[in-house]
Amino acid sequence: MAHGNEFDIIVVGAGHAGCEAAAAANAMGLRTCLVTIHLETIAQMSCNPAIGGLAKGHLVREIDALGGLMGLLADETGIQFRLLNRSRGGAVQAPRAQCDKAAYRLAMKYRLERMPKLTVFQGIVAEVVVTKGVARGVKTLDGAVIEGKAVILTPGTFLNGKIHIGLQSYPAGRANEPSSVDLAEQLKRLDLKVFRLKTGTPMRLDRNTIEWDSFMPQPGDDDPVPFSYRTRGRLLNKVLCYQGYTNAATHAVIRRNLDKSPLYGGKIKGVGPRYCPSIEDKVVKFPQRARHQFFLEPEGIETAEIYINGLSSSLPYDVQREILGTIPGLDRAKILRPAYGIEYDAVSPMELLATLETRKIRRLYLAGQINGTSGYEEAAAQGLMAGINAALALRIKAPFVLRRDEAYIGVLIDDLISTGVEEPYRLFTSRAEHRLLLRIDNADRRLMKYGRELGLIPESAWEEYEAKRGRIEEATSYLKKNRLKTDSGDSVTFFEYLKKPEIGLKNVLEYGKFPVELSGEESRYIESEAKYEGYIRKQEREVAKAVRTDSMKIPKDVDFQKVSGLTREAVEKFEKRRPATLGEAKKIPGMTPAAVQNLTIFLEIQRKRGASTAHVSRETRPDDE
Amino acid sequence: MLEDTIIAISTPPGFGGLGIVRISGKKALAVAGRIFEPKDRSKKPFPVRRPVFGKIRDPERDSALDEAFLTYFKAPRSYTREDVIELSSHGSPAVLEGILRLGTRAGARLAQPGEFTLRAHLSGRLDMIQAEAVNDLIRSVSLSQARISSRQLGGSLSRRIFRLRGKLISLLSRIEAGLEFPEEKLRKDGAADRRALAPIIVDIERLVVSYEAGRAISEGVTLAITGRTNVGKSTLFNALLEEDRAIVTPFPGTTRDFLREKLVIDDIVFHLVDMAGLGRPVHPVEKTGIARGQKIAREADGLLVVLDASRKDSEEDERLIRKYRAKKTIIVLNKTDLPRRIGRRRTQELAGGSPTVGVSALKGRNIDKLRGEIRAVFAPGPGNDEEVVLHARQKDRLQGILEALRRAEGLLSKRHSEEVYAEEIRGALRLIGELTGEVRVDEVLDEIFSRFCVGK
Ligand SMILES: Cc1cc2nc3c(=O)[nH]c(=O)nc-3n(C[C@H](O)[C@H](O)[C@H](O)COP(=O)(O)OP(=O)(O)OC[C@H]3O[C@@H](n4cnc5c(N)ncnc54)[C@H](O)[C@@H]3O)c2cc1C
Ligand SMILES: Nc1nc2c(ncn2[C@@H]2O[C@H](COP(=O)(O)OP(=O)(O)OP(=O)(O)O)[C@@H](O)[C@H]2O)c(=O)[nH]1
Ligand SMILES: [Mg+2]
Repeated sequence: MAHGNEFDIIVVGAGHAGCEAAAAANAMGLRTCLVTIHLETIAQMSCNPAIGGLAKGHLVREIDALGGLMGLLADETGIQFRLLNRSRGGAVQAPRAQCDKAAYRLAMKYRLERMPKLTVFQGIVAEVVVTKGVARGVKTLDGAVIEGKAVILTPGTFLNGKIHIGLQSYPAGRANEPSSVDLAEQLKRLDLKVFRLKTGTPMRLDRNTIEWDSFMPQPGDDDPVPFSYRTRGRLLNKVLCYQGYTNAATHAVIRRNLDKSPLYGGKIKGVGPRYCPSIEDKVVKFPQRARHQFFLEPEGIETAEIYINGLSSSLPYDVQREILGTIPGLDRAKILRPAYGIEYDAVSPMELLATLETRKIRRLYLAGQINGTSGYEEAAAQGLMAGINAALALRIKAPFVLRRDEAYIGVLIDDLISTGVEEPYRLFTSRAEHRLLLRIDNADRRLMKYGRELGLIPESAWEEYEAKRGRIEEATSYLKKNRLKTDSGDSVTFFEYLKKPEIGLKNVLEYGKFPVELSGEESRYIESEAKYEGYIRKQEREVAKAVRTDSMKIPKDVDFQKVSGLTREAVEKFEKRRPATLGEAKKIPGMTPAAVQNLTIFLEIQRKRGASTAHVSRETRPDDE
Repeated sequence: MLEDTIIAISTPPGFGGLGIVRISGKKALAVAGRIFEPKDRSKKPFPVRRPVFGKIRDPERDSALDEAFLTYFKAPRSYTREDVIELSSHGSPAVLEGILRLGTRAGARLAQPGEFTLRAHLSGRLDMIQAEAVNDLIRSVSLSQARISSRQLGGSLSRRIFRLRGKLISLLSRIEAGLEFPEEKLRKDGAADRRALAPIIVDIERLVVSYEAGRAISEGVTLAITGRTNVGKSTLFNALLEEDRAIVTPFPGTTRDFLREKLVIDDIVFHLVDMAGLGRPVHPVEKTGIARGQKIAREADGLLVVLDASRKDSEEDERLIRKYRAKKTIIVLNKTDLPRRIGRRRTQELAGGSPTVGVSALKGRNIDKLRGEIRAVFAPGPGNDEEVVLHARQKDRLQGILEALRRAEGLLSKRHSEEVYAEEIRGALRLIGELTGEVRVDEVLDEIFSRFCVGK
């Protein structure tokens, strides 16, 4: 084949998952090949021109703390920045940026092309080469065979992708890109559980045909907060977004044309995300609402394309035009690209281990949309983890798995592999049990040490982090030592005072001279630590306790048939997997909490029964512990 | 999947009349087949849910133990969702134990206490509250407890808690929607959150408080008889019990340690405690006796303060009455068969709101009236349709829920950020999960998407 050499890791698909996977594998020193359909669409944002938001912004921070690329590039190519939920506490604040789509693509391509161990290659992968249950490489439609020791599949929405506009439909992986049919069919043959999902994207309008005065401008923040710990210099807001509303006339048009919707007409069988409803969905599900909000977001600086966030639709093109006609300010807007819906295959993530390797085929990893998720950030996070774990596996090192209390990445992957998905999965902060621990202001504290150990964090970044930690420590001990008198006459430490709801570090500093200069980020960290202190301690205790229960041993000779109240299915699963600890038992895909509870009760009873004779057995079988 | 088949006597010990032995598990039918012989041979195999008359037989000795009815409940339509056999025979312990012996020899295992209920719970037939209700029903000491337990078995308490849970989920989803979708500018409305929270708190408070009554019903009400020495406490104790339980002498300081006996009035259980009288101790034993008595009086659910009506008012009596003013009390004027010396006005003044009953313990005069008064004053409060929490476990969780929600309310009124009080509500919901033994994820998200039009 063209390369004349073989690789360690082959990544299929240069979307957000694939790019992070390939970059991580390269950084960990493995010879990596990234195969993708078009070199022009590397890191393409298929839908909205924005990165971040609640939970997603958290993910980007975590990716960055582990040495991933998304945050850095979003900062570099961002054209408007906002920190969401500024009026609320640190745990639910997250950055969001409008990005220049073309610039983002190019920035990613530029970087990937300069990575020493990475080869980028254009081709449509038709098949994963599997010998004796192990992935060994890929074959492209052009006939190229690329050999490798591990394969990471990140084909996004392309597997058996089918675009719907009204009652028209045709195969495609994204507008004007081919669908991946052969690969999709092979996955089914490999006995992976495949199911159908759908999503949609709104139309893109010509900036020059919109009457901007009809809409409310939405500026970025005065002091933009970057995603990345490595971003230097001030970020600039270069564009405005605008906000508008649909109206009764819009809704009437939609209702009149519902029979032309592939979804309501019954043509789409895949399940769509509830949090990204199409405008038809919104109108049908919330008939009492007189209007729905939308945003006009530029897709970049140089392009005239404007994305209408909130008007995703798969109604026919002429209805889309009619819809625009009902909205003052858009009534003469030209559609540059019509809105469309897309249906695609995904693999049930319950097929996966926590490393994102499939259970059935060794060294085959899946990441991104293929695992039933949606969103660039969710994809990137999985890509990074798959890349890291494939590299670790080839180096014969212990896998890298994050716990739910350590990172949103942990929550995301654990949710996927243990409960599976029924609709496209999106991360929310409320999915985390320990939300107050998982903040953007402490992502470096939580994760950078891992990034460094893995060799993904440059030493300079680590030194900066250490310096930052030193400043925070110094400031905190100052705040805990010095006191002030409150209005009610009580004497409290600065730190205690900071716990009050409307008090920020700024207010405290009126009372004393601070020993160090803190960045906004550092101040936010200290404020969170003060305001959440009681909860943080409590959650840390809970975590410690959960870690203990999860480590409760299941005796090797336990007879699962004897456990009361288990379904036959649960018994079979336990017998097949033979979990060594309760934590592992919990993680078995499809295992219900009730089954785990029954097992726990059973083990407790066994232990209590054993307790009376414990000293005897300990003497006779000292190695049984 | 359960390997073994369990057997147990399921009627309380020593109740006489009819006794029931239950067998549950895969081999229940086989075990029963070996030890039970229907009179009408055509009734084998046993029909489902229809009692069959026959004999309990010892297959080895070929002798009959007793006559019995057998009822077969086929899985899964049985209490444990396994095959269940019920054998009802005469209730004598010897017969019942004989059946157990035969059953175990035929392949069943003796059940551990509560194992039937545990199986029912594990098979998903009962939630945790219902499972507890079953155990209560079996062990119930009084009719009112049995009534409450059987209602809870029907799921009344569970339903009430599920309603509370629904309300909390709906509140939380409103808060979470605001947090997760800031762009939607959903109204941030602390006042509405508070309005939603307040009635939930009141409802849980009511349940927590009902535990006092619940405990009284399930455990009985402790009533301490207190008063100076020689006023006739022990005599009254005996009179109420209608039994010569405590030693009575004309000498002060007769009772030195305490005595505790069960007294049932209507269907309420009281634990009546007689103890050392208050007075100048002569002997060290008396001193400890008095100290002990005071502790019991402090911890009792109610007091009977006994005064000797044939003696002049005493300061000691006054002190005593004042000391326990905060407690539910009945003042008992004893020895009314003798000429009255105690001041009528004075005692009434002292008694405050507490009722006063004049009796003669010695002659048994007015004892019935006192019983009625005890029932009225000390019997647990709520009427029949009020829900009552019977379990310490349930009460602990409810208390935890209550505290979390009160904290949430406090945080709300001090204008703390929403994610903080959301944390408390999330905690409360987790406790509700523990209460009913049920965990469900994603309900808040479900609710957000069905109620709010969010997302791009
Ligand atoms: C129409 C549309 C609407 C969307 N709407 C939303 C939304 O509203 N909200 C949201 O969060 N997300 C949305 N998304 C999803 C978002 O784009 C994805 O979640 C994200 O891009 C997934 O990243 P990924 O890396 O898994 O895959 P993608 O970004 O899709 O990248 C897949 C890559 O794999 C390549 N590829 C595919 N098959 C092969 C093959 N056989 N051989 C070689 N290369 C291959 C493709 O060329 C592509 O570069 C939408 C996507 C589309 C297409
Ligand atoms: N005439 C009369 N005598 C009573 C009555 N009740 C009790 N007595 C007598 O009072 C004396 C003391 O009675 P107890 O019942 O032993 O009194 P007590 O309060 O238990 O005394 P201590 O245990 O010593 O504190 C005995 O001689 C009883 O017979 C009553 O109603 N009428
Ligand atoms: Mg006495």
